[in-house]
Amino acid sequence: MLGYLVRRGGWLIGSLFVAGSGVFFLLRVLPGDPAVTLLAVGSSPDQIGAIRHQLGTDRPVLTQYGHWLGDLVTGNLGNSLFTQTPVLDQIAGRLPVTVPLALSAFVLSIVVAVPIGVFAAVRRRGLLGLAVSALTQLGIALPIFWIGIVVVWLVAVQWRALPPGGFPRAGWQEPGAAVQSLVLPVVTLTIAQASVLVRYVRSATLDVLSQEYVRTARSLGYSLPRALWRHGPRNGAAAVVQILGILLASSLLGTVVIESVFALPGLGSLLLTSVKARDLPIVQGTVFLMTATVLVMGLVVDVVQRLVDPRLRARA
Amino acid sequence: MTAHRPSAGLPFARRLRPLGALAVTVTAAVLLAACGSSTSPGSTGAVDPDATITVGSLNEPTTLNTVKGGNTGHAQVLLRNVVEGLTVLTDEGSVEPLLAKSWDVSPDATAYTFHLQSGVTFSDGTPLKADDVVAALKRVTSDESTSARKKNLSIMQTIEAPDEDTVKVTLSTPSQSFLFYLTSTGAAVTKPDAGNPDTTVIGTGPYTLSSWKQGDSITLTRNDQYWGTKAGNKQVVYRFFTDATAENNALLAGQLDLVTQVTSPDVLTQFDNRPEFTIVEGTSTTKELFNFNDAIAPFDNPDVRHAIRQAIDRKALLTAVWADRGQVIGSMVPPTDPWYEDLTSIDDHNVAGAKQLLAQAGYANGLSFTVDYVPSDAMNIIAQGLKSQLAQAGITITLNPVDDATWTDKVYKNHNFQATIMDHVNQRDLVWYGDPNFYWQYDNPQVQQWVKDSETAATPEEQTALLKKVARQISEDAASAWLFLDPAIKVASTSVSGYQKNNTTDSFYVAPITKR
Repeated sequence: MLGYLVRRGGWLIGSLFVAGSGVFFLLRVLPGDPAVTLLAVGSSPDQIGAIRHQLGTDRPVLTQYGHWLGDLVTGNLGNSLFTQTPVLDQIAGRLPVTVPLALSAFVLSIVVAVPIGVFAAVRRRGLLGLAVSALTQLGIALPIFWIGIVVVWLVAVQWRALPPGGFPRAGWQEPGAAVQSLVLPVVTLTIAQASVLVRYVRSATLDVLSQEYVRTARSLGYSLPRALWRHGPRNGAAAVVQILGILLASSLLGTVVIESVFALPGLGSLLLTSVKARDLPIVQGTVFLMTATVLVMGLVVDVVQRLVDPRLRARA
Repeated sequence: MTAHRPSAGLPFARRLRPLGALAVTVTAAVLLAACGSSTSPGSTGAVDPDATITVGSLNEPTTLNTVKGGNTGHAQVLLRNVVEGLTVLTDEGSVEPLLAKSWDVSPDATAYTFHLQSGVTFSDGTPLKADDVVAALKRVTSDESTSARKKNLSIMQTIEAPDEDTVKVTLSTPSQSFLFYLTSTGAAVTKPDAGNPDTTVIGTGPYTLSSWKQGDSITLTRNDQYWGTKAGNKQVVYRFFTDATAENNALLAGQLDLVTQVTSPDVLTQFDNRPEFTIVEGTSTTKELFNFNDAIAPFDNPDVRHAIRQAIDRKALLTAVWADRGQVIGSMVPPTDPWYEDLTSIDDHNVAGAKQLLAQAGYANGLSFTVDYVPSDAMNIIAQGLKSQLAQAGITITLNPVDDATWTDKVYKNHNFQATIMDHVNQRDLVWYGDPNFYWQYDNPQVQQWVKDSETAATPEEQTALLKKVARQISEDAASAWLFLDPAIKVASTSVSGYQKNNTTDSFYVAPITKR
């Protein structure tokens, strides 16, 4: 297991390097010059050149890349082109919104989707089982911002039960208000995520149901729930755990849309505004961090899978 | 849906366009219109002098540095509220004294002596001295500056402070617009060495900047030591949104007191006939333009440009976007400018005429080209409308949606385009037709001379007469197709009053706003 972890860790660092470099160069070929977005009407080419020099975007791309890589190794993600504040501070300021949002939606999705998925599999020919299938299909088909708009309109605008968006200026120092402002975004994200997860849990459960060990257990006098409880989680978990990694990643990415719809000052909205302004260091830093999170989650998922599934360990 | 008070500056016109939210507004508006609405009584009672006013905006500053240009959004928050200039542009469009209580002009109009208001202090208590004004005026033309008015203000040859209450400026050439240029954010007086200029600013205005929570809000607090009339409220919070629907919902749910600019008429249906909201329509300086690259074929042929203009039904476009609001224009001048004339009869809608002109220009079998534009609710309607209108005259356009930064790079900087739709917000930007290197590359030496002469004109009357000629000539040359002037629409809670009605300045002056 230790050797595996070392190998897997090395692979992780390699992937991070490739992903980070990819983001760096992709941003450099993206049209749009940050210097020009800072300039006024009628600026001369000299002025554009001067601003580029101030911003450091006039240096050869490879030199910029070298600097970026060197800084990265020392844990420095650079400074914003426009406010000169460190990218890490900017990102850190947004985490108190995005981390609780993505994690709560992730956990809530599991709590909601696993029982529903199992239920839908067991009652797959019943009316309720079919209804679950239809609803999850709908949940997957609907764009997440649309779900958000409907939820806001109903709960916040019509009933005035919760705020339609925003985050308290004092942040978590006002825990009540902070929690309130995250309820609707979390619910919205959960609707979208759980719809996907339910279908995976359902098919994993169906898979288990058709296995001989379940039939054997039934023949030994176990009730269906008991047979499922005894054999289901361990056999079905591997497939579900694998999807959880992807789910957490999509929770994180879903925040980009959700934070815009709910006017939350999180990582997603930071990314959106920085792309628009071409504040390259912030875009780079944010995307790098998100990529790193997804890759690390992938590693965690692999390790968990090996723990729950001895067959994978044997193969290694 | 886009919305914003533009800043002074390049991508001048450039309003922010939230990337993730296109087409969202319409859906929401339709939903809301279909479902009716609840009502709650508007609040009544006496004015609360210590109220907090929450203003919704889609244009968060990228920096608070007052001498940075571009789409920085800082003018809306800072100008007149936190920082002040020697002169001020009022909502009615006139230039009035502010930090300068009066000025003398030499007979040759090149030397200005400004007499400063007495008793002015920065919000940290330091008295304002003439040296601070000199420093500010030098800063706007320094290397650090990318201000929209840097070039215009570079005519200042010497800037001196003969005593603590006087500032003397000599100009290299007379300038009719000098006092107007001084109203810009870049020329506003800030306390030198107040910290990182991108995130801190200390001025002499009726508010101090208390906090900037990036991605969320800027909070201004009343400056109780203010030298002039103190603000009618204690605090103003600008809340920033990237999505217009989110902004409207916040207003509907009572989180906001007003929004600075509604950019799509669809959202108005949510606020119509509700006693707790007021819809105010004023005028703006935002001109929707369909521009050609006048230097390249086929647009270097004036017949082609006239043909395109005649193929456009401006009234229909305006109606499609703004229903019965806004105004059709025939040149680059809004009616609030003294040199406005109704020129809409030039190249009026005439499909047969357009076809004839095209045939004359050698395009009897049709013409096709690509149009770059930055999508938004309004832009999408205009683009589709132009496409179908031009098709009737045998002109095929390919729509190429791009994002703001790409537009700036491709069209504005590199002139790498055929035609584009763009909104131009800046005041008095008619003069860009006097610059052959401006992105539309319109080159008429006569117009360039008139623009130049209008600057150095001896009297405002002479300036007006010259700019009238410019406006008419560019229309007769079909330099661009001017479509219409956007209305300035604000929606506010009925509990607040005193906010500015028009969008004819870069600032959004909040001091007179009161709340009951």
